[in-house]
Amino acid sequence: MATRDDIENWLGQIALGDRASFSALYSATSAKLFGVILRVLDNRAEAEEVLQEVYMRIWRHAGRYRVNGLSPMTWLITIARNAAVDRKRRRVAIPADMSAIDSESDSGPGPEQRAIAASENARLSDCMDELDEGHAEAVRRAYLDGETYAELASRFDVPLNTMRTWLRRSLLKLRECLSR
Amino acid sequence: MSDETPDREADKALAGEYALGLLPPDEAAAFEARLATDPVLRAVYADWAEDLARLTDRIEPVAPPPRVFGQIEARLFGKGRSTGRTWLSWIMGAMAAAVVVVAVGFGTGVLDRGPTPPGSPAYVAEIAAEDRSLVVAAAYDAGQGRLFIDRQRGAPREGRALELWLIAGEDAPVSLGVLPAEAQADLTVPTALRPRLDGAVLAISDEPPGGSPTGTATGDILAVGEITNL
Repeated sequence: MATRDDIENWLGQIALGDRASFSALYSATSAKLFGVILRVLDNRAEAEEVLQEVYMRIWRHAGRYRVNGLSPMTWLITIARNAAVDRKRRRVAIPADMSAIDSESDSGPGPEQRAIAASENARLSDCMDELDEGHAEAVRRAYLDGETYAELASRFDVPLNTMRTWLRRSLLKLRECLSR
Repeated sequence: MSDETPDREADKALAGEYALGLLPPDEAAAFEARLATDPVLRAVYADWAEDLARLTDRIEPVAPPPRVFGQIEARLFGKGRSTGRTWLSWIMGAMAAAVVVVAVGFGTGVLDRGPTPPGSPAYVAEIAAEDRSLVVAAAYDAGQGRLFIDRQRGAPREGRALELWLIAGEDAPVSLGVLPAEAQADLTVPTALRPRLDGAVLAISDEPPGGSPTGTATGDILAVGEITNL
């Protein structure tokens, strides 16, 4: 298991164009990132393409990973998650019709969501539990499924602005809890 | 939802929305613009990114098919698989001594204060060498076609010179000139070569005084680095 220092060193070397470090980083982290991407996209072919894009981005941007002050693994996960979500949204955008949201029937990760919720790290999990009914699920769906406000509003059957107001309130609550 | 007021409570929610990818594109862009200049906001965002990443803790790792890494390498490095590859592998094989990283500021105003290094650390190349034997930073001012060189560590061997080479795509290395004796110097990049800098490789070789007599590197490759487009 690669340590934080390992990953930081590799990123530092990758920023200098070191391909051996790139290879080492890939070996140590690609299964994790592929898992995350697959979780979002639930499609292996697409996930492979996104994984390629993610590591190309890592190669090109390794020198800037410190900019936002993220830990190296969080930086990698964030790149992978965001790339997967971008891909998923482009996919959904093709029908260019809000009704398409209702037809995303292939992935109904209800039980899976619950399993994940049960095994998150305890602090996050406890704080998520303090949120109002459904709001923790909305946060997870936004992060792990890339659902938008429009999709969440449709799912929870509330106006979009209401959805946003609720979620913002829940985020503040979550932040307050996580900062305790 | 305009964020003109630096309301830190509102920013906490906003940063969370950004981290979740929920902001509409215009708001996300505005947030990113603030992020670039507001360290407090960056810290707020970083907290969210760290905490939300924990949502992936128990996602099972899945090993990607072995071919994927080869495809990534081909897409990143495979462009010059024929001749370009030869130059690259020649360099990669020859070096191992040092690495030079070059930050290139395309656009104007990066280096518009004469022959001095950029004032903002954002444009200062971070240089390192495996054994720290030769450390050279470079920054390019696209407006003037000027390559600022800062040899921070290392020097030519006794009676020898250091020559800088540009390797663009599949082409053979082209000399950008011998590094002057001064640690800091400006090199003018020939007009024809300027469009070729982006994504190219720079290398430094050990040469006789005045540079290679043959037009190609004759001595050891001491340092090499890819040009990074800032």
